[in-house]
Amino acid sequence: MSTEAMTPDYFSNCTHCGFCLAVCPTYKLTGDENNSPRGRLRLWSEEAAGRLPQDKWTDFYTAECVGCLACETACPATVPYGEIFEHVRHEHVASHRFKPKLALRLAAAAVTRPILLNLAMLPARLLRSAGLSVHRFLFPGSPSVLKSTAAYADELMQRHRPTGPRVAFLTGCLMEAMFREINFATVRVLIENNVRVIIPEGQGCCGAFQEHTGLDGVEALRDQNRRAFGPLDVDAIVSNSSGCGYALGKTLQPGKQVRDVLGFLGELSPVRRQRGHNDGTRVYVDLPCHLVHGQKAAGIPANVLDATGYRWELAPKAKDCCGSGGVYNIQKPENAQQILADKSAFLNEAEGAPVILGTSNHVCMMQWHSAGATGLVTRPYEVRHIIQLLDPGEKFSIPSNSPQP
Amino acid sequence: MTSPVKSSLEHQLKALLPRGRVLTSAAQLAGYGADGLGYKNHLPDAVVIPADAEELAGFMRGAKSLGVPVVMRGAGTSLSGGPVAAQGGVIVHTSALKKIRDINTEGFWCEVECGVGLNDLDAALKPHGVFYPPDPSSGPVCTLGGNVASNAGGAHCFRYGVTSNYVLGVEAILLDGSVHRFGGPAGGRGPWREDWKRFMIGSEGTLAAFTRFWLRLLPLPEKVWTFRATYPDMKTTEAAIHALVAHSSYPAAIEMLDPRGVAMVESSQMACGLPEGSFMLLVEIDGPEALVNARVQSVAELLRQAGSNDVMFSDEEALRQKLWKARKASGGLLGQLSPSYVVQDAVIPKRALAEVLQLVYDEADAANIRAVNVFHAGDGNLHPNFLFDSRVPGELEKVELISKRLMQRVIDVGGTLSGEHGIGNDKSAYMPLVFGPDSMRLQLSVPAAFNPAHQMNPLKVFDNRRFVA
Repeated sequence: MSTEAMTPDYFSNCTHCGFCLAVCPTYKLTGDENNSPRGRLRLWSEEAAGRLPQDKWTDFYTAECVGCLACETACPATVPYGEIFEHVRHEHVASHRFKPKLALRLAAAAVTRPILLNLAMLPARLLRSAGLSVHRFLFPGSPSVLKSTAAYADELMQRHRPTGPRVAFLTGCLMEAMFREINFATVRVLIENNVRVIIPEGQGCCGAFQEHTGLDGVEALRDQNRRAFGPLDVDAIVSNSSGCGYALGKTLQPGKQVRDVLGFLGELSPVRRQRGHNDGTRVYVDLPCHLVHGQKAAGIPANVLDATGYRWELAPKAKDCCGSGGVYNIQKPENAQQILADKSAFLNEAEGAPVILGTSNHVCMMQWHSAGATGLVTRPYEVRHIIQLLDPGEKFSIPSNSPQP
Repeated sequence: MTSPVKSSLEHQLKALLPRGRVLTSAAQLAGYGADGLGYKNHLPDAVVIPADAEELAGFMRGAKSLGVPVVMRGAGTSLSGGPVAAQGGVIVHTSALKKIRDINTEGFWCEVECGVGLNDLDAALKPHGVFYPPDPSSGPVCTLGGNVASNAGGAHCFRYGVTSNYVLGVEAILLDGSVHRFGGPAGGRGPWREDWKRFMIGSEGTLAAFTRFWLRLLPLPEKVWTFRATYPDMKTTEAAIHALVAHSSYPAAIEMLDPRGVAMVESSQMACGLPEGSFMLLVEIDGPEALVNARVQSVAELLRQAGSNDVMFSDEEALRQKLWKARKASGGLLGQLSPSYVVQDAVIPKRALAEVLQLVYDEADAANIRAVNVFHAGDGNLHPNFLFDSRVPGELEKVELISKRLMQRVIDVGGTLSGEHGIGNDKSAYMPLVFGPDSMRLQLSVPAAFNPAHQMNPLKVFDNRRFVA
């Protein structure tokens, strides 16, 4: 849908109450009302109604939006801001009012071709597994270089033969190509909790990359995933990345719901990891925007966080955006860095040895890792996916008292 | 930006604000066309966002020579058309002035810049065990500057009083650039005109630009109990309100939702299990724990005696907040029902509650306009919301006609135009209903003393208060 095609009706829920201003990262950053959801909606609706000609400033303020959706949570009138924003951004890109950076256009083409992407990212996996981080966003990890998550899940299913609920797992594009160790940990945690894991063949990128950049191709990816996940008879479809889970959820609605893997585990009372009495680790939990504002989850269940065995607490402003915004930290690095500076400042003084910043979205992890790499945080800290803190490691068995189907 | 006049204005503004921002493109002005009354659009000629208080002072020194109206704006949540450029000119957005400069727990005051958000202040005060009582429903976003300019109230003002009860001092800059202090943290002692601060509070931006305030604080109540009771009709609800007002437990807040308000909450994400068709009272008592606990049963009994068989109460934070959230988000919730709404803010003697509410229903029904009532019952501060679609020709006119009839009745029963939202340009037409020509002339002489050409926020409060360059 184009802004021209949008009738003013589309914007009519907004009563202009302004509750969105207080939670908007770019309004907080700039103090400019045009750079807030209420302001942007006004610009788009005025343009749609023919009262405001196309203007480079409308393009600017549209591109400034992080897409965190905190405004949707704050909005009493339930304005579907995310949906409107997605349409407008796509229209701006399609009509050349906005051009995503070259790197993003190339990446958008790559994510639609998983075999190519996996091949292209092989050097990155090699470097990471060799302990060499070459980029501010590349947090350390040891991904399998060649074995896919699907092959690994098959192997573990054969070995452990879980009998509990059946879930279909979205492995994701970047997660699989770059941060595969998190997928592997997810498979282990699920199977240890007696969950039967299937990795549907033919699944593709969730489409979030296209949504974030406004580039074409999102519908093809959605169709692909509808075919891959739609006909499945499973107890749940799970994702370990809140952004991907949110995008796939929109694709499969109505009819199929996509669960965040941590929320799903919360209902199973997951196996608890034991840590030493003197373990001084402290986990600060940050909640991804697309988990709490997109998927509208209350958070990460406390029993899941307890099961990590670590002392944990929510990071300050845990429901505020870290500046990652999918590709926002690449598209608008200065803004993203300022947003992160405010969010990450507490880490410099945070108690714990070691200190772990735990979250549940790989792009947030990349952003949090960059806080150290760019000098915003000067003390050592690790960035981990919460699922990694539940990871039993390669040698585990399913406890005999696991929940049965 | 093609006209030479506008480009000259832009040039002058950029000279006055070397560090702040100057917005002049059409798409930069569009976001500043309206306040909380989204259907009314008044485009400014420019918007400036001063980087700090010093730059605001610099702007004010040069503002007179701009020869255009100057309109102060906080978060733009006003419901009366206060912070909009009704006669064009420059909007001064104070979003960068958000420093909390001091919290003095010994003297129970704080010093804040005008752009500090109300709930941000609350959050900063809480660890110190103190609070700032006025609590308009726009708290998550509204600024202290807007609160002082409109003498904001809120649910808990029934017991605690409105903004003017908590402003110890105001720093204001006039259009000649002179900086004035009215009152201060020591409660008036000092070389400043304490008594004159009352001119500033509720002045709706017609006198001066505010830079900072000294605000009175109170110790946080030790214990809070929240009650909700539902009633089958207005008569029993009114009886409950009268009983509460007269009761020695003296509630901090007495709020009411009519059945249409209840239906709106229940069909939204804020639903909290209110029975269909009921009038709901939301009541709160607070104070020292032993004292408040001892009063809980008597308040519950009072609510039952008045005719409710559905009284619930809780001291649990999550439950209490859920009820308050539903109440306080009701303005925005209206968006789920209707594209536009007008909310009135009349205050009436409580004995006339049922009578005036009936008029609201009768008039609205006759005009086929939906009306929802959610308001501060303890203060008799009505908030009838008239829902309409501004794109349908004639609807706004119908709502304005109902509003006018309502205002006439409000005045007939001894009430007045506004409790907390201010007059702005939304209610200025009703001023002559309350004030005679002599009173209007006297009131108008106040802004004229501060800015004789009425350059500050013209066409507000007084219909004929126009800036003449």
